[in-house]
Amino acid sequence: MRLQGIKRFHYARDVEEALSLLSAYAGRGALLAGGLDLARSPRSDLEGLIDITGLGLSYVREEGGGLRIGATTTLTELLESPAARRYLNGFLPEVLHRVAALPLRNQATLGGAVVSAHPWADIPTVLVALGAEARWTDESGEHKAPVEELWRKPFRKIFRQAVLTEIYLPPWDGGFAFERLTRSAYDVALLNCACGLGIEEGKIAWAQVALGATPHRGRRLAWLEEALVGKSPDEVLWAWVRDEVRGKAEVRTDRRASGDWRRAVAGTLVARTLAQAAEKAVTGDG
Amino acid sequence: MGNETTVMKIYFELNGETRYEEMESGESLLSLLRRLGMKSVKSGCDTGDCGVCTVLVNGRAVRSCTTFAAQVRGKQVTTVEGLGDVDDPHPLQEAFVEAGAVQCGFCTPGMILVAYELLQRNDAPTPEGVRAWLSGNLCRCTGYVKIVDAVLLAARWKREGRWR
Ligand SMILES: Cc1cc2nc3c(=O)[nH]c(=O)nc-3n(C[C@H](O)[C@H](O)[C@H](O)COP(=O)(O)OP(=O)(O)OC[C@H]3O[C@@H](n4cnc5c(N)ncnc54)[C@H](O)[C@@H]3O)c2cc1C
Ligand code: FES
Ligand code: FES
Repeated sequence: MRLQGIKRFHYARDVEEALSLLSAYAGRGALLAGGLDLARSPRSDLEGLIDITGLGLSYVREEGGGLRIGATTTLTELLESPAARRYLNGFLPEVLHRVAALPLRNQATLGGAVVSAHPWADIPTVLVALGAEARWTDESGEHKAPVEELWRKPFRKIFRQAVLTEIYLPPWDGGFAFERLTRSAYDVALLNCACGLGIEEGKIAWAQVALGATPHRGRRLAWLEEALVGKSPDEVLWAWVRDEVRGKAEVRTDRRASGDWRRAVAGTLVARTLAQAAEKAVTGDG
Repeated sequence: MGNETTVMKIYFELNGETRYEEMESGESLLSLLRRLGMKSVKSGCDTGDCGVCTVLVNGRAVRSCTTFAAQVRGKQVTTVEGLGDVDDPHPLQEAFVEAGAVQCGFCTPGMILVAYELLQRNDAPTPEGVRAWLSGNLCRCTGYVKIVDAVLLAARWKREGRWR
């Protein structure tokens, strides 16, 4: 038995109905997508659960080289979708195969991952690196913001009165790579990294670098992105990255790993991920 | 939102049979299934981590501990009871016995259902593929080698037409 206080379970038919139910519960109702996080929630104040899987928000659509992903799309649906396989030459399936395990991916939705935004999770780091945009609707209308900006707001409060409808991934002309350090393939990450590079005439034209589970949620390393532009993607540069990141990365200790250990490995992790992204950018392989 | 009852009733299919069952609005699928006598569905961590509570919903393996019972309205739920029993085991169950993949047996129903989904989609998996597919199901007894062997044996049987 879970969530003892629940008085009613609703199956919302559209976004308007979900919003009016949220409003009627005045903070004591929660939207339910896959349920993985909600079922584990310690919240005893909840009285209503509002199932949003019938809102028609499970889709993956291509748009101008980018991807529009409905919030209730499961990770399995996403990684199996032909559109996601074409985006950045299959970068998303490559990442998602390494997130959690099959039965969890069958249940977890992308929207749930964005709203829960666990600091240790891989998806936030990847979305931040990709420059993903969150789109949501509340009673005042439709809104959008880059996920990184959304997570700087009191986003959990926002989604007590709003439905996240879609995640948009912009088009990129370059290569992206993802790496995570864990005790076993299935454990949550002790540190994760997603990087994208565009290379023109042998030099780095743009860079996206996100480091997560530090144990903070994934954030971009703007200073590094700037420093990489104009440089040649080679071993000399990766050695420099290793040292700089080791010196500057903002890491701390939590119950999973010590700050010292994170610092010692962060440079190697970022350099390794960048080298992979560079290879993909050059070969046009994602 | 007032004093509505906490009990609700939904239709769903359990192992091929249509059911109309009562449940609490916040009850987990794990709790409902065990109340209905599906004792193959085990409770381990209750947090989605171990996989012993795995069932199939519309053919996909999910954790029943982190699924609300009400989420399966109108869906097909399959537990190991729906695959076979001691008198008439499913080939996948037989493969687990044949390969010696069962020790205490607590993880076995979850392993079998995840393997069932794998073999429905790919009947020629590699050992690495089987390991990756089963990586979210923990076993404290076997060391996994025999479990992987069992799934590969079942895959061979499936390719040979020994399946249902
Ligand atoms: C055992 C386990 C292992 C995991 N391992 C990993 C991992 O390795 N890497 C990783 O990145 N992640 C991992 N995760 C996290 C996983 O990705 C999230 O738990 C999952 O995506 C949540 O999605 P859900 O649909 O199940 O969420 P739900 O439980 O349905 O919802 C989560 C929260 O979001 C709200 N919500 C959901 N959808 C919307 C919406 N559309 N609009 C507004 N609010 C909404 C809900 O009200 C709730 O507060 C793991 C989780 C578990 C349980
Ligand atoms: S009891 Fe459900 S995953 Fe452990
Ligand atoms: S056989 Fe005992 S836990 Fe797997």
